[in-house]
Amino acid sequence: MTDTKPAAREATRTSELRHRLRKHVPAAVLFVLGLVAWEGLIRAFDVESFVLPAPSEIGSRLVDQWSVIMSAAGNTMIEVIGGLTAGVVLGVTVALISVRWEAAREGILPFAIATNAMPIIALAPIANNMFPVTSPVSKMTVVAIVVFFPVMINTVRGLTEVGTGELELMRSFAATPRELFTKVRIPSALPYFFSALKVASTLSIIAAIVAEYFGGPQDVLGQYIIAKANLFVFPDAWAAILVASAIGIAFYGIILGAERLVMSWHVSLRATEAG
Amino acid sequence: MSDSPVVRARNLGKTFGKGSDRVEALRGIDLDIESGEFVSLIGPSGCGKSTLLRLIGDLVPASSGELTVNGKSPQQARLDRDYGIVFQKATLLDWRTVTKNVELPLEIMDEEARSERAASMLDLVQLSDFAKHYPWQLSGGMQQRVAIARALAFEPSLLLMDEPFGALDEMTRELMQQEVLRLWQQTHTTVVFVTHSIPEAVFLSTRVIVMSARPGRITDRIETQLPYPRTVDTRESAAYYDKITEVRESLRRGDRQ
Ligand SMILES: Nc1ncnc2c1ncn2[C@@H]1O[C@H](COP(=O)(O)OP(=O)(O)OP(=O)(O)O)[C@@H](O)[C@H]1O
Ligand SMILES: [Mg+2]
Repeated sequence: MTDTKPAAREATRTSELRHRLRKHVPAAVLFVLGLVAWEGLIRAFDVESFVLPAPSEIGSRLVDQWSVIMSAAGNTMIEVIGGLTAGVVLGVTVALISVRWEAAREGILPFAIATNAMPIIALAPIANNMFPVTSPVSKMTVVAIVVFFPVMINTVRGLTEVGTGELELMRSFAATPRELFTKVRIPSALPYFFSALKVASTLSIIAAIVAEYFGGPQDVLGQYIIAKANLFVFPDAWAAILVASAIGIAFYGIILGAERLVMSWHVSLRATEAG
Repeated sequence: MSDSPVVRARNLGKTFGKGSDRVEALRGIDLDIESGEFVSLIGPSGCGKSTLLRLIGDLVPASSGELTVNGKSPQQARLDRDYGIVFQKATLLDWRTVTKNVELPLEIMDEEARSERAASMLDLVQLSDFAKHYPWQLSGGMQQRVAIARALAFEPSLLLMDEPFGALDEMTRELMQQEVLRLWQQTHTTVVFVTHSIPEAVFLSTRVIVMSARPGRITDRIETQLPYPRTVDTRESAAYYDKITEVRESLRRGDRQ
C-alpha cells in the first residue's frame, strides 16, 4: 500500500502538476481578458490618462522609469522587511510569554490589545519626527506597530485553542508544562501564525507607503507616487503602484512557500478538506 | 503489592459545583478491581461512569472517600505513568505521523528505543503499513487503534477507556472489541472500560459494574463467566444472551430504585 512504484509515482506527480496548472487557467484567462477589455474601453471612449491610463501606457512608463522605480522600491522594501520582522518577532514573543506565564498574560494583554485601538496612521507624522529624517527606522516603527497586533492575537489564539482531549492526554503522560508547550501548543499555533503572517505582509506594505506619504527620504515608492501625482504624470504613478502590488504578491508567495515547508501536514490536510 | 487491588475505592464521592449548580455525580462508591481484570462500567447517561473513570485517572479530584491506584494516590499513580487513557475521540496530533503519535508518550518519558517500540505497537494493532501516514489519512477505526497503541506503548499497568468505540459503526466496533481483547490477553493490562452497550460490556468483560443515576452509584456487579478467548461463537452462544438479559434486567431494576 505504501510501496507505490516509482513509475506510478512519477505519473501521479505529472498529473498532479497538470491538475494544478489547469486550476490556474481560469484566473489567467480572466486576467488577460480584463487587460484587453481595459485597454479597449480606454481607447474606445478616449479616456484621459489622468483618469485611468491604458495598461499599455502604464507598461511603457514602467519600462521607461524602471531604474528610478526599482531604486524607490528597494528602499520601500527595506522598510517593509525591517518593520515586518520587528513586528512579527515582537508579536510572537508577547504571545509566547503571555500564554506560558499566566501572570504575564494579565499584565501584557490589555496593553497589547490597546495598540489595536490606536489609529496607527495618525502615528506616522509623529514617528517621522522621532528619528532622523533620512532614517528608515520611523517607517519601520509604523509597519511594526501595524503588524504586531494581528500576529500577536492570532498566535495567542492558536496557542490557547488546544482541546481538552489533548490537555488530558498530556496530563495522563505526566508531561511538564514545557513539554505541553513545545509538543502541543506551538505546533497547533502554526496554522494560526501563518494566516496572521499573510495578513501582516499585506498590511506592512500599505503601512510603509502611507508612512512615506508623510515625508522623509524621497527615493521611496510613496514619495514617487505623490510626486508624480502632483505633476499629473499619472501613468508613472500607476507604474509604481503596479510594482508595489507585485511586491505584495511576492511576499505572499514566499509565505505560502514557507508554510508548505514548515507544515506540509497542514497544507495537505487543508487540501483534503477542500476535497 | 501484587495481591492488593489495582483500584480500591471506599465510600468514594464526587460533587460538582456549588449552590443551585451543585451536582452529586457519585455517592458511596465501593469498588475493588484486581490485577488483570477487564471491568466494564455501564449505566444510564449521566450516572457518573466517566466521572468515576476520571477520578481513577486523576483527571478530576475526588470530593470524599478513599481511592488508591496500585496502592498509591491517583496523582502519584499518574506521575508514575501507571495509566494509559483512550477516549471516544482519538485525539491524535495532526502534525505527527502515526509512528510519531505512538512515540509521543515515549518521548515524554525519555524512553530508549522509541522507534522499535512504536513499530512493535503498530504491529500489535496491525497498522504497520500506515506507520508514515498522517492521522487524517486514516479511518475512524484506524485512528482509534493508533490511540490504543499509543496508550499501551509505555506499558501502563492500567488502561482506562471511555466509550472508545462509541463513534464507530457496528462492524468496525466488533472487530475492535476482538482486537482489544487480544491486546488485553497479550499485555496482561488491567482494563476499566466505560460503555453504553450491554452486549459490548458482556462480550469484553470479566465483570460488569452496573450503575444508576441521581446520585451516581453502583447497583450491581455481574461476573460474566464466559470462557476466553471470546469469538464469534461467543456472540452466538446462549450463555452470552443470558448474561445480556441479566445485565439489562439489572439496569432496569437499578433505574427504578
Ligand atoms: N466538569 C463537570 N462540571 C460539572 N458537572 C459535571 C462535570 N462533569 C460531569 N458532571 C456531571 O456529573 C454527572 C455525571 O457525568 P458523567 O459524565 O460522569 O456521566 P456519564 O455516566 O459518563 O454519562 P454519559 O453516559 O452520557 O457519558 C452529570 O450530571 C454531569 O452533568
Ligand atoms: Mg461519559
